[in-house]
Amino acid sequence: MLTIDSVTKIFGEPATGYRALKDVSIEVPEGEFLCLLGPSGCGKTTLMNIMAGFEGINGGRVLLHGRPVTGPGRDRMMFFQDAGSALFPWQTVEENVQYGLKLQRIPAAERRRRVDFNLSMVGLDEHRRKFPAQLSGGMRQRLQIARGLAVDPDILLMDEPFGALDAMSKRRMQGFLLDIWQRTGKTIVFVTHDIAEAILLADRIAVMSVGPDSRFRDIVTIEIPRPRDPSSPGFGEVYAQIERLLGHDLDRHEG
Amino acid sequence: MADRITDDELTEGVARRPRRRSLRLGMLRPAAMAVIAFSAFFAVWEFASGQLISPFLLPPPSKVAQTAVPMLESGEILRHASISLWRVFVGFTLGSLVAIVLGVIMGRLRLVNELADPVIEFLRYLSPTAMIPIAVIWFGIGEASKYFLIFWGTVFFVLINTIAGVMRTPVPRQRAAQCLGASRLQIFLTVVIPSSVPFIVTGMRVAMASSFMSIIPAEMLAANSGIGYLLQASAIMVQTDRIFVALATISALGFATDRLFRFACDRLLHRYMAWSGSN
Repeated sequence: MLTIDSVTKIFGEPATGYRALKDVSIEVPEGEFLCLLGPSGCGKTTLMNIMAGFEGINGGRVLLHGRPVTGPGRDRMMFFQDAGSALFPWQTVEENVQYGLKLQRIPAAERRRRVDFNLSMVGLDEHRRKFPAQLSGGMRQRLQIARGLAVDPDILLMDEPFGALDAMSKRRMQGFLLDIWQRTGKTIVFVTHDIAEAILLADRIAVMSVGPDSRFRDIVTIEIPRPRDPSSPGFGEVYAQIERLLGHDLDRHEG
Repeated sequence: MADRITDDELTEGVARRPRRRSLRLGMLRPAAMAVIAFSAFFAVWEFASGQLISPFLLPPPSKVAQTAVPMLESGEILRHASISLWRVFVGFTLGSLVAIVLGVIMGRLRLVNELADPVIEFLRYLSPTAMIPIAVIWFGIGEASKYFLIFWGTVFFVLINTIAGVMRTPVPRQRAAQCLGASRLQIFLTVVIPSSVPFIVTGMRVAMASSFMSIIPAEMLAANSGIGYLLQASAIMVQTDRIFVALATISALGFATDRLFRFACDRLLHRYMAWSGSN
């Protein structure tokens, strides 16, 4: 369980700085797929950085399994949109996945087993001796996921991981992520500004308002059974509902 | 557009094919161009000397070659060249080592960087040539002054590039390592330093070129050996053909060393270099 309890975040001096988040609260139960949705500037990445422990807070509490979060840890793995800059370009696919395991001094045999397991889960076992620069964008993102899963985190924090992919790769990666989520039972917090992507993936969507003083406009539970069909009427209804929630900010921000 | 691409097709297309082709056809074209360009260059030079300019002022390539042969046979060129090369090697190696060590620290520790940066920004405008007089007073006319001057010319290029490399290590890469369980020291050693390698190597290449430019004036003004000395001694005797032999030697040495350096980097550091172009 990840608990965000009336978190406030100010960049700069408390009195004069930018008030990014105000009194944001949510509880993410084990195994949930939560999407943070909102236009740019709504503080969703800031909130994610707070969950990861990269950013401190100016008020409220962040608890993981009841204990306060004070910094980054192996229990929460962050995945970045730009996999190319997040990966280690001088290491092969296989070495990238081994990195975290070597830090933990896991014996070679167990390491090999976990590398094999995770590479085959993301479908990269045939490419293990390649370097990240030799992979396509979608494959790099899959490698980043395999590298993170190898250290067995409780929560996956994903910051628009498919935002830089073309439409086809994006669709494939969404299906692939759902599959991994169902197989591993991990908790996932997923940042996106793509409404359809959020509906396709999430158990719940936390819709955020534009800053300053961003907060959750609403938290929508998606009841549509999986696999979800974007062309179904139910999907369209939820889409319209969320668009209405965002409406005010969309008018203000588009263009 | 997108539906034709499978992952495997993409990798094949991205990385494999161009590399294989470049080994055969791709290498031939620049080589052929170089042969053509040099032939044309020497032909124009040969024609100009005598027809347009006095052959005493601009000796034709044939005359330069004639002069060079006995100088090569007697070992005169080799002796001077190896002395100059050794000076460059010592000064360049010392300068690079000091700059890399200082640079990775300065790039990482904000306070050190903020304190040292203004001083470096000020000192870097003192070219090695400007430092010759004081180097001679400090270290005399022997080897130490030459080492110092090359060191001086190397250290700023490498330092500035190393700092840039350390500071530009992508934040996501460092944070990912942190999530994977790396300590600050481990991030520094296993993420920041490898990420800086392409920058450091670029700085060293520029420094290498500058070393070859600074060794000549240093040897002209304060030495009794080396290619710069050969140049200066020939000038005093007004032996233009020997001057041109010395100039050609400088070019050849600079070119050969740069290629050797690049080759060594490609071999030893290719993991760290290969990606720097893409991404």
